[in-house]
Amino acid sequence: MAKWGMVIDLDTCTGCQACTTACAMENSRLPGENWQDVLFYHEGKYPNVQLKWLPRPCMHCENPSCVSVCPTRATYKDPEGGFVLIDWNRCIGCKYCQVACPYGVRFYTDEKAVVQPDIRTVFPSEEGRQWDPPWKGPQDDPRRGIGIQPHGVVSKCTFCYHKVSQAPAGVPDLDEDIPELKEYVPACVRVCAPKARFFGDLDHPESRVNKLIADHRGTRLKDETGNKPQVYYLSGGASAAVPSLRAVHQDKA
Amino acid sequence: MKLLETLINRRRFLKATGAVAGAGVVAGGAGVVPGLTTLSHARSPAPSADTTITKNICHQCPARCGIDVYTTGGRVHAIYGTSDHPISNGKLCPKGPLGAYILYDPDRFKGPMKRTNPSKGRDQDPGFVPISWNEALDMVAERLNGLREREESHRFALLYGRGWGASCAGLLGNFGKLYGSPNVAIGHSSMCSDGSIISKKAVDGIGGYNSYDYKNANMLLMFGAGFLEAFRPYNNNMQVWGYIRGVKVPKTRITAVDVHMNTTLAGSDRALLIKPGTDGALALAIAHVILVEGLWEKAFVGDFGDGVNRFIPGETVDPDSFEEKWVKGLVEWWNAELKDRTPRWAAQVTTLYERDILATAHEFGTTRPAIALYERGAHAHSNGIFNGMAIHTLNALVGSLYAKGGLAYQVGPSYGPLPVNADDYLDDWARAGGWKAQPRIDLKGHPDGYLLANNMMQEIGPNSLQGKPYKLDTIMFYLNNAIWTAPDVKAWEAALKELFVIETSPFPSETAMFADVILPDHTYLERLQDAPTYPFQGWPMTQLRVPAVKPLYDTKYFGDVLIELGKRINGSMGEYYQALDNTENVIRHLAKGFESDPGDNGVNSFESWKEKGVWYKRVYPYRQIDGEFYEWDGQDHARLMSADEVRGALFKTASGKFEIRSGWLEAHADWIAAKTGRDPSRLMFPIWEEPSHPGGGDLYMVTPKVALHAEGRGANLPVAIANMQPTLGGRNTIYIEINPKTARARGIPDGSRVRISSDLGAIEGFCKYYEGVRPDTLVFPMEHGHWAHGRWAKGRKPGHSGEITVNQSDRITGQCSYYTTKVRIERA
Amino acid sequence: MTTATMDNKGIQMPILLVAGIGFLITAGLVMFNLSSQGHAAFNISNDGLFWGFPIVVYDFFLLTSTGIAMVACFGFLFTGETFRPLFARSLWLALAGLSGGVAVLMMELGYPLRAMFLIPFSFAFSSPLYWKVLAVIGFTVCLLLLIWRARATQSTLDSLRGLTRLTLLFAILVTALAGVVYGSQSFRPFWASGDIPAAFIVESIVGGLAFVYFFTLLAYGFQADKVPVSIRSVFAGRMGGVFAWAIVLHLVFVVGRTVNGLYGNVEGLQAWQYIVSSPLYWIELAALMTALVIMFSHALRRNILVQVAAAVLVMVGLFIGRYEYIIGGQIIPLFKGSWAPPVLSYAPSSTEWLLLIMAIFLANVVNALGGVLGITRSR
Repeated sequence: MAKWGMVIDLDTCTGCQACTTACAMENSRLPGENWQDVLFYHEGKYPNVQLKWLPRPCMHCENPSCVSVCPTRATYKDPEGGFVLIDWNRCIGCKYCQVACPYGVRFYTDEKAVVQPDIRTVFPSEEGRQWDPPWKGPQDDPRRGIGIQPHGVVSKCTFCYHKVSQAPAGVPDLDEDIPELKEYVPACVRVCAPKARFFGDLDHPESRVNKLIADHRGTRLKDETGNKPQVYYLSGGASAAVPSLRAVHQDKA
Repeated sequence: MKLLETLINRRRFLKATGAVAGAGVVAGGAGVVPGLTTLSHARSPAPSADTTITKNICHQCPARCGIDVYTTGGRVHAIYGTSDHPISNGKLCPKGPLGAYILYDPDRFKGPMKRTNPSKGRDQDPGFVPISWNEALDMVAERLNGLREREESHRFALLYGRGWGASCAGLLGNFGKLYGSPNVAIGHSSMCSDGSIISKKAVDGIGGYNSYDYKNANMLLMFGAGFLEAFRPYNNNMQVWGYIRGVKVPKTRITAVDVHMNTTLAGSDRALLIKPGTDGALALAIAHVILVEGLWEKAFVGDFGDGVNRFIPGETVDPDSFEEKWVKGLVEWWNAELKDRTPRWAAQVTTLYERDILATAHEFGTTRPAIALYERGAHAHSNGIFNGMAIHTLNALVGSLYAKGGLAYQVGPSYGPLPVNADDYLDDWARAGGWKAQPRIDLKGHPDGYLLANNMMQEIGPNSLQGKPYKLDTIMFYLNNAIWTAPDVKAWEAALKELFVIETSPFPSETAMFADVILPDHTYLERLQDAPTYPFQGWPMTQLRVPAVKPLYDTKYFGDVLIELGKRINGSMGEYYQALDNTENVIRHLAKGFESDPGDNGVNSFESWKEKGVWYKRVYPYRQIDGEFYEWDGQDHARLMSADEVRGALFKTASGKFEIRSGWLEAHADWIAAKTGRDPSRLMFPIWEEPSHPGGGDLYMVTPKVALHAEGRGANLPVAIANMQPTLGGRNTIYIEINPKTARARGIPDGSRVRISSDLGAIEGFCKYYEGVRPDTLVFPMEHGHWAHGRWAKGRKPGHSGEITVNQSDRITGQCSYYTTKVRIERA
Repeated sequence: MTTATMDNKGIQMPILLVAGIGFLITAGLVMFNLSSQGHAAFNISNDGLFWGFPIVVYDFFLLTSTGIAMVACFGFLFTGETFRPLFARSLWLALAGLSGGVAVLMMELGYPLRAMFLIPFSFAFSSPLYWKVLAVIGFTVCLLLLIWRARATQSTLDSLRGLTRLTLLFAILVTALAGVVYGSQSFRPFWASGDIPAAFIVESIVGGLAFVYFFTLLAYGFQADKVPVSIRSVFAGRMGGVFAWAIVLHLVFVVGRTVNGLYGNVEGLQAWQYIVSSPLYWIELAALMTALVIMFSHALRRNILVQVAAAVLVMVGLFIGRYEYIIGGQIIPLFKGSWAPPVLSYAPSSTEWLLLIMAIFLANVVNALGGVLGITRSR
């Protein structure tokens, strides 16, 4: 079976956040509860200032630390494709996986609404979901954490399992520029205007993602955690992606 | 035991609250405590078979990206770029996916309404009551007929913003002509980027937004514009960016000029943080270096007769020694202005380092093809005309005009004619009524106003209020909210209190609060609407919005509202609109033009247009190669054009050349000198002039458009709000960017609430320290401060810059100087 | 037998009533807030603070419970009949603490009942929480059995020894596993440490001692003349010394972590700088140091009110410490960019405070009920 992976080219990423809003649309995310986010950092003194950014989906790690801490096996590594998914019918909302994820990509949305007034009060759900927006997608697969997030459980990026899992078997890459494949491409990859994202099978020797990783020195974030992400970044040797928060000293007047 | 009891108690409690919720008492808080239910696997994980895909065009910016709208079970749930659309190519910018939120915006108007409260003001509830479309249209028609009978038809004005195509804004000109008002319709371009259009017109005679061949350019020099935040077509710009920065060999070099560090500057090779209003000085210095070092494109510009460069800093040159080719007035410009505009001089004016100016000039002068582009940042100042001319002249110096990898202008589509000709329906009043002697309300084209401008929308409110030249009676708005977006909004609010206001937006707005009648439009996913491309690649292209769902509410497409109104106007005008019938009929006739000129994608009819969503032909008719102009001969750009042909099509100046010495300005030198006090012997050249900054403050205030600015609605879309300002982390709050040095000097702590004030008033917001913003400038996105835009927009800070922006315009271009007011900041 | 003593029943009934009413009110308010706002009633957020005040309260109560059980079991095993007057009361007190903690956890979890059914049968061997839940179940069963057996028969030390050992082992296991939950999070250097289980066990014992002192003396209305001599001599004697030395050990862990944290440059450890700049941290240290001084002084610790004061100081100090440990490990937001500030600001919401009060009331209800029913009476 495939081991799906993503490559994000930081040299061409424009920091536009289309990946974020496309993910929000495709997966009916609550405003600000971004499975896929773009993180911005800045350092330096005027006029020599660095503004940098890092698009960050779930890494769908090979050794996911979130999976090993789950006391109910609600979150799991799908052997057929390498997705890290959550069974919402098993999740108890203990949030240990959130604590245990080094990449901060898990969401317990029973928190105060990021944007007020709370849109959940406008489109309330009658079946225990967070909300019921008119624009929700047709897909709904709680055993894989797909659809509108219920109350009391944790959710996360599924690598658009509902699209990717339908792809023809044996395809090395899911490239949105190939018309026959575009419906199987994760939303964040499909919309990416500068084509800074690539999605393919890391186990397929012919896949473009593998070639990119090999040729352009693909790196995994926080490799020291041993989680072994299936998301690789290309930075062309540009810069360390994530500066220490210590660099961002809190300014006081 | 206690434990179990707790749980049982809890469960029972939950059941009870569930019952209450079920009874529909309140759609209360964030939801219920999770119960015991296990979710069923009701729906299939795969998109179901009844999903339909309709073609549409995004509405969130001018770019006009083709989109595929996914509808299942009558609900729109996804939007992706159309794969075979030349702008979107299957991709989207961050605004593209917001469409469904706009369609299902809970704050939408549900049908036509009239006002019952005669008092108008920010704190006045209009007391809208629903009425039928017939009642609404009759009410408006009666008013328009009355004006006409009283021979006051000029007192009806129609203002529009983002007009899309021939079936909406395209109908307006005929409406004004038939009805008899010079004020139907007035566009918003002076509040947009006329400074760019008209400064280009001054030198190349065309006056439009350029199309840019980025893919073949090797150097981009960008002044303002926000290439990676806002510049249209944003989506395509980013596709281009990915190509020229990641794939193309050699990698295109990019220098970006702005007043704060944004993603464009961060992604560029060189970021220049320039003092607001001084972009022209930088362009002059670059031109100076190009001339001194002999880097200009000789095949296009011309050269000294003997090939010896005589451009020496500070020294004049004999004009006769230079043989100009496609430019006019180069040496005169050097003598009058450029000889002293050294990088050292510019460094003082712009606060940039001399070494950076030199390096930029060398790069721009030696890398071909190169493009210099600019938009509102550079020209929204009193000296905007000169800043624009200076920057655009750089394109002439390096020979980029109409060249591969350079700039050109947009060509229109092969539309068919309308079913009827308006000229056949002019009655006596329309043909020769008293309205013809009336000036436009905005005094555009009038010696007392803005003789050379295209539009002066920002003047309409103040002019009507003062009765100068007259007071309007009835005003109608289409995709326009000038009462909020114009500077000095208080004058607009006072003006609209006196007028009968017709609003056509489907959404609540500040205009609607002052409206007497609401004739709500469909949202874009419900419309059948054509839209020729905005300037893109130059070659012709036009697109179609196809409704994805039936209109959710009792709304009507603006084009049809206009036609229905027209039918109700007495006399032959009514007959014209009877004949026009409806917008679908209009669009079907437009599409007839494709029958004889099918698009590259095979679109040759209304039906095929609907299916593909776009008609285009990927051939631009002209190209300049090594200083010669060629026309497409069906196979190649091979037919050499004569000088007259060039003048007719490509440089529409008196000389048929790129006039660095602008004949157009020179022809109006007396008027310009009288109104601006400029030296009549120099005002026709791109010169340096200190901008004038009203407002009475000590800091510049710049309010750029950001990537998630969904035109007109971004402030009320929670997903847009949540991601609006990623650079500073403005999750639920947009922050005012302030340099820490500036803040500390005023005792303003990071994150604190601040007040920004000018002579006009004050607004409040929260600030964040940012080293990436100039110490003399405050920056915040132009987005919030709406007071009637919907529940999420309401009261969101910071307040709107328009409240404290002085209404000052460039006297030539008419460009509203949004970024030139100086303000004060203090802790609130 | 030795000194058969009586509880001051007069005080248990009012406590039961007050705590019962208090519990009903606070639980009702919490229920109301949770049903109307969901867990948005808590100040947790996806910016990085996932485990907030409710987890602090839960852990505090749970580890206090195991600590009390450890004190009871150690006391009984090592001092035998000398500890007899305290044994049953302490075991019941452990149960009371456990009930308070578990009740809070039930309010904190997204799906509490599902958790009870799913976790034991999940066989999620890799999860510390799985083992912790098993251990808590074992601990609870042992505790109940021990209480029952200690009361039901004329049990001797020998007859209870096996069950006491087992209960002690489970108490240690629960505490250690609670430590593993945090200590195993290797990319959170604020938490991650192999010796966290040991630190937790020491902390639990310190807390257990404080609670045994406080609630035993409370049972006698803090009136010296009503406290049996047997108890007074234990409290003023060896137990006081053990309390003091336990505080010393705990301080070694706390100060050691602080110093290491302040030295470290690893991302996340900067939380220590914020912790030591907060007065809470110094209140914690001052409370523990004061209790330490009191319990080292033979003269001072003879006074019952001084014992109560030391116990209260330790309770407060440990609660602050628990708060700082759990929150401190999360206030540096990982991977949030500019969306989150360099340090998260967190303060418990009113509902979260209510949970603490609710837990205190519930534990007191259970504890007082034991007194009223005579379960805590010792022979």
